[in-house]
Amino acid sequence: MLRTEKLSKRIDTFSLRDISIEVGKGDYYVLLGRSGAGKTQLLELICGLMNPDRGRIYLEGEDITYKRVQDRGIGMVFQDLSLFPHYSVKDNIMYPLRVRKMDLKERVDRVQRAAAGMNITDLLLRRPDTLSGGEKQRVALARTLVTDPKILLLDEPMASVDASLKDNIRRLLRRLNRNGQTIIHVTHDFGEAISLASRVGVIHNGRIIQEGTPLDVFNHPVNRFVARYAGIKNFFRVTFITSYKSASAISEKRTRFRLPRGEYPSSGLLIIGSSEVLLSRQGASGFGINNIRGVIDDIVPSPTGFEITVNAGDYFYADITHREMEESRFVTGEKVYVSFRPESLRIVGNGEDIKEY
Amino acid sequence: MKGHTLFNWIFTILASLVLLFIIAPLAGMFFDSSFSEVRTTAADPAVRRSVWFTLAIAFASTLFFAVGAVPLAWIMARKKFPLKRVVQGIIDLPVVLPHTAAGIALLGFISREGALGGAAQKAGILLVNNGAGIALAMAFVSLPFLINAARDGFAAVSERTEKAALTLGASQTRIFFTVSLPQAWRSVVSGFIMMFARGMSEFGAVVIIAYHPMIAPVLIYDRFNTYGISAARPASIIFILVALLFFVLFRVLATERRVLFKREDDASD
Repeated sequence: MLRTEKLSKRIDTFSLRDISIEVGKGDYYVLLGRSGAGKTQLLELICGLMNPDRGRIYLEGEDITYKRVQDRGIGMVFQDLSLFPHYSVKDNIMYPLRVRKMDLKERVDRVQRAAAGMNITDLLLRRPDTLSGGEKQRVALARTLVTDPKILLLDEPMASVDASLKDNIRRLLRRLNRNGQTIIHVTHDFGEAISLASRVGVIHNGRIIQEGTPLDVFNHPVNRFVARYAGIKNFFRVTFITSYKSASAISEKRTRFRLPRGEYPSSGLLIIGSSEVLLSRQGASGFGINNIRGVIDDIVPSPTGFEITVNAGDYFYADITHREMEESRFVTGEKVYVSFRPESLRIVGNGEDIKEY
Repeated sequence: MKGHTLFNWIFTILASLVLLFIIAPLAGMFFDSSFSEVRTTAADPAVRRSVWFTLAIAFASTLFFAVGAVPLAWIMARKKFPLKRVVQGIIDLPVVLPHTAAGIALLGFISREGALGGAAQKAGILLVNNGAGIALAMAFVSLPFLINAARDGFAAVSERTEKAALTLGASQTRIFFTVSLPQAWRSVVSGFIMMFARGMSEFGAVVIIAYHPMIAPVLIYDRFNTYGISAARPASIIFILVALLFFVLFRVLATERRVLFKREDDASD
């Protein structure tokens, strides 16, 4: 449906380089990257607010690289929502319909339908400055959706929404997508990507560094940056040691990891999810399991329980639930075992890493 | 004022002195004139004609030049271009020029020998010693007030709302009239009022271009020169009152934006 081919654009000292992405009809494509990565600029290129220096953009097979913004059929909701402050909610939503010189009855019909779809019918006569972040978000979505865009571009749509309302917006976006709306959604939050995306593209320093399903990206991050984005904190730069009957790895801090048998490069990065790390006072039993002794360095409450940091030469991060904490009553300074199965360890990319993070 | 510190006292006294300096001469003028004097002067056809003429010319001049000044203000707020600072300097120039010097410069331009004056004469319009020339003189010295106020207004409009309108399918012209101008409206009108007020009180540049027909400031000067301060005072009072009345009226209108920016669908939906 939408294909970009080696899009490049230089903006002052920053540049987007060779961006090639493909978004199929009905896809929910999440562009993941931290601020300054070039996400918004890429959206502006796609919707035509900027022209690229090089590369092409195709929409439904048509080359739209230099087509006017107004004629592209692409809707965009900006991060700050950019509602017109001098218009009521109704007039905001009606704006694109007036532009299209639709007759009054159809305009009113469409506004009513869009408002009902976004559950904002009771807000139609209000001014944008009297709305909450979540309400503004719905108005901005309604204003864009009345134009029936072929693709909906969303720039950090959760940014102006209270944490408690994020679920609502997420549900709304999922529903839109289920109804066939193709969406490109820009965010810095991997959780958002996991919960919404059918495909994820990770953008960093103006380049797409990994693309795939959220699970692919989570399970097989190509480098430490992506892994960290995926919420993984346990990283170990290791040297692999393999023999015909066993495989292991030794970190720079001399921690030894048992690995499943297999082929390994000579060195690389090992990662393990915090939820796959178990803590105990006596160590876990099981064939081949890794038991590493360390001291609890810090215990920090997290939304689901606690995150415990263990200093074992290398630092390990383990997530434990409230219930587990109540049973074990870990305290800082206590000696514990960090345990995990060899199969839980993953190698990042092909052993290479971007060092700048 | 909370906390009567020495600092607050000193600042209050200094501020009051400045305010007094503005109010005292005006108040003195009102107290020194009798009501009957003012009433007689107000009935004088020459004074009436002059006041209305001044208001009309100042308003027409502001309206006419706003057509170009508002787009210029938008360009100054939105666009980056080489020598932008020089252009801003040119816009501000009339503020720092002595107004009689501005009048002399303008006279050279609009007299029969000047570029504009020559062209106008071919079209059968004489710019010197008539309303058109006065309007040009008023505009010359007062344009920066409109341009700069409108520029600040446009600069304060979120550029993203304009971009959003583009993605919603609106043309640039439509965006200007439906998104940019309504949001910058207060500043534009405020600039309009300042330009109008500055234009109608102009003396220096106008007197060089046209002594006759007499605008109110020239008439006041003429009365002062011919008959002395007691004759000039009632005319001044009348002009100040009328000017104030219009100033307040425009301000009130400006705060009610919908009077001038009524939406096309207001009546229908």
